[in-house]
Amino acid sequence: MAYTTFNRNEFDTFAQPMFFGEQVNVARYDQQKHKIFENLIEKQLSFFWRPEEVDLTNDRKDFLDLPEHEKHIFVSNLKYQTLLDSVQGRSPNVALLPVVSLPELETWIETWSFSETIHSRSYTHIVRNIVPNPAEIFDDITKNEHITKRAESVTKHYDEFIALSTYYTQLGEGTHTINGETVEINLRELKRRMYRMMISVNVLEAIRFYVSFACSFAFAERAKMEGNAKIIKLIARDEALHLTGTQHILQIMARGKDDAEFAEVAEECRDDMVTIFREAAEQEKEWAEYLFKDGSMIGLNKDILCQYVEYITNQRIGALGFDPIFETKNNPLPWINAWLNSDNVQVAPQEAEISSYLVGAIDSEVDTADFGDFDL
Amino acid sequence: MSAAALLMPEDTTKPGNTNPVNTNPGNTNNDDFQLSNDADSGVDAFELEALQPSPEPEGVQGELYLPESNPEQPEAGPQIELDGMAKPVFAVQVSHAGNDAVQSVSFQHATTLLDSLEAQNVNVHYQCREGYCGSCRVQLLDGEVHYNEEPMAWVNDDEILPCCCIPKTDLNIKID
Repeated sequence: MAYTTFNRNEFDTFAQPMFFGEQVNVARYDQQKHKIFENLIEKQLSFFWRPEEVDLTNDRKDFLDLPEHEKHIFVSNLKYQTLLDSVQGRSPNVALLPVVSLPELETWIETWSFSETIHSRSYTHIVRNIVPNPAEIFDDITKNEHITKRAESVTKHYDEFIALSTYYTQLGEGTHTINGETVEINLRELKRRMYRMMISVNVLEAIRFYVSFACSFAFAERAKMEGNAKIIKLIARDEALHLTGTQHILQIMARGKDDAEFAEVAEECRDDMVTIFREAAEQEKEWAEYLFKDGSMIGLNKDILCQYVEYITNQRIGALGFDPIFETKNNPLPWINAWLNSDNVQVAPQEAEISSYLVGAIDSEVDTADFGDFDL
Repeated sequence: MSAAALLMPEDTTKPGNTNPVNTNPGNTNNDDFQLSNDADSGVDAFELEALQPSPEPEGVQGELYLPESNPEQPEAGPQIELDGMAKPVFAVQVSHAGNDAVQSVSFQHATTLLDSLEAQNVNVHYQCREGYCGSCRVQLLDGEVHYNEEPMAWVNDDEILPCCCIPKTDLNIKID
């Protein structure tokens, strides 16, 4: 049962579920049970970008000119984004890799987490640019009670799953006495915790991030902090892919496509799904209150952001086949679509190409027409 | 293009052509760097274009390139005519959740259903516009669509992604 980094067993890949089957051995991609994860990896790799490519020189001036309450909104939003990506840069690896059973899914999880680390690096890039001492912003993330409260709800389901799964990978199912405490480990409960964790990850990527994007873009909509908005556009492009990834994992589980027990677990957790989405929406609204405590900004205030929280929550839970939770039907921030779309982000003044170009792409096609007027 | 031209720019291989830039790596004498053709012509080699005032004020979202013409009214921007073949027109009925109003639009010229809907003032949420984010998902109540490329986003059985499909029949869709 103990985790091994290279499973010596011979087994049929196509008979393995996504999680809790045989531990993976050869990282091979010639046979794929779920082709979607390969497609996601390819897409994510084609998205590769580096924060230093985005020119932020104008943002420093913009930031200094912002009124105090808008500085509070910008910096708090940035702290929240930093927190979210700090969690996402490691947690999928820590939680999922020990129990994954398909090589393409294993690689997707690693690719996914890696791209979150690029996001974290870009926050340092942004912070360095706007304040002389980055520590005053980063240190506050673990001290500020409003941020730490967010951290608790973001990591709760991850931690609950990891606590049980570490025992499971070492000891297997059964009743064990650990440090004098009796711990009951059963796979069903572990799957339940995993399903809830995947829901909370989906909430993180599909709701929490988008609320923070709305704030970043609200500045850019007024032609302030535009370099920052270009970085957030690239981050939003990655997050769109990640939320598609978690939606696929959740739906494969819920339909029992490779593990019938997960379909039962998903059925048992239907209420949890609604609860987790609803709680997240309420937490985001509380956060909106904190953001705008000293005043609104042009184009965005607490009420509009709360409506957006409700709208995006309905959209995301709808994608998982659930009924909307809130009454809000219309997007209160229609301009956000154009900002979220990354096709035409111009990352640096001299870089006029679209951001979705492939780095190092060459035309390797040679046909007879190329030799038409070639004579010796 | 000749084989020689593929290997080397033609003018540098002609004997007698004085190369304006010294190609001898050993010679660092600056006198060799002269623009020989323009030296005595009295005309500057480069003319700077006069700065044109920007038509838009600085800082407006300059990087957003929205289509200039309406994809559903190609008369506005001429397109290549298909000889003797009229493009089929599909009727698209659009209903909205929590709202009884039904919009009747049509699809004829646009590249995707999303382009067509936007051109006819139907608001659809979107992000990636290439099928991987799923933001534009709408319910398909009736009809069939064609995807040029299978979308990457999760699509429920009764849903379509307008950003990457075109109608095969008349459609009836519902936007949540």
